[in-house]
Amino acid sequence: MTLDDLAFHLNDYSGEEGTTFDALVTERDILEVVCSNNDEFPIHVTMTETQILAVTPLFNLGEVKPDRLDELNAIFLRLSPAVPLSAIGLQGDIYILFGAMALSTRFEVIAHELEVQAENTIDVLEAVEHLLD
Amino acid sequence: MGVLRDMMTALRGGASEVGEAIVDANAIRILEQEIRDAESAIGSAKQSLTRMKSSEIKLKREIATLDTDIADYERKAVSALNANEEALAAEVAERIAELEAERGEKAAEQGALDAEVQKIHAMIKARERTIQKNKRELDKVRTVQELQRATESVSKNFAATGSSEHRVSKALERVKAKQQNWQDRMQAGEWLEGQEAGSDIDAKLRAKGIGTPAGSGASDVLARLKAKQAG
Repeated sequence: MTLDDLAFHLNDYSGEEGTTFDALVTERDILEVVCSNNDEFPIHVTMTETQILAVTPLFNLGEVKPDRLDELNAIFLRLSPAVPLSAIGLQGDIYILFGAMALSTRFEVIAHELEVQAENTIDVLEAVEHLLD
Repeated sequence: MGVLRDMMTALRGGASEVGEAIVDANAIRILEQEIRDAESAIGSAKQSLTRMKSSEIKLKREIATLDTDIADYERKAVSALNANEEALAAEVAERIAELEAERGEKAAEQGALDAEVQKIHAMIKARERTIQKNKRELDKVRTVQELQRATESVSKNFAATGSSEHRVSKALERVKAKQQNWQDRMQAGEWLEGQEAGSDIDAKLRAKGIGTPAGSGASDVLARLKAKQAG
């Protein structure tokens, strides 16, 4: 499956919980997916030779209250095992939520993972909201 | 070589800016070169394996022929001995000894070839391990590169909106408001469905003349008036 295929199927699909998707391949060849259950934090999907990567950029290091950074990192380490389909990471200066799937993953499973990732984004952000400026 | 360690070293070195390559392009080229080298080494190893295998098959066939010949001469020697042809038997024995010597040489050759084949098999396995390991390492690098690319595309938005206070909180508020809206609409939809179902029942009842208040029609009024007049 290519990013274009994935976009095509997603735009036409409605998840079990009624989630719909707005998917667009950008000029930079990244699939931007907006899930109806969380349209403020789009998921960026890209592929390697073996994996599908789904990345939700959360916030910048600069948005963290300067004296609360350690606390935030500790919370994220503790939260990580609780969000099994997505992991929390730091890419450059940006905190991200990301999931990785095998290229052979069935479409319905990909859609479900994206739906869950969009939902997890809200949960994770709520947990650290008080540490952000 | 551990790609992850290299990446962390690069990060400590300050290559944390988005857009900056945190994996040395050289390191990737080396990994790719190693994969190609290993693949071509496996290719030529497989060619020599084919050559060796054909030599081995030839040797085995020759040894089998020698075995048949030896067995044949042994029978003949026994026959000569039985016929009291001692001199002839001795001549045949000499021939057998020659054949056995030849067989010994060929068997040694085959043994050496066998050892060589095992060595090449082990070499191929080692190369294949290298390839698999390098491919896994490359995949880590590609993952990091793709993560970087996927994140980079929004970093500009962040830069533009990141300065605004409580960006995340505001976004969360909007998401939650929308979810609440959605839930309200769902509830409203359920309520409406209930209403429609209810009025449906009323209509059915009316159709059957059940639950209609008695004496409310014009014909009833007229009948009442006529009754009054008659009375």
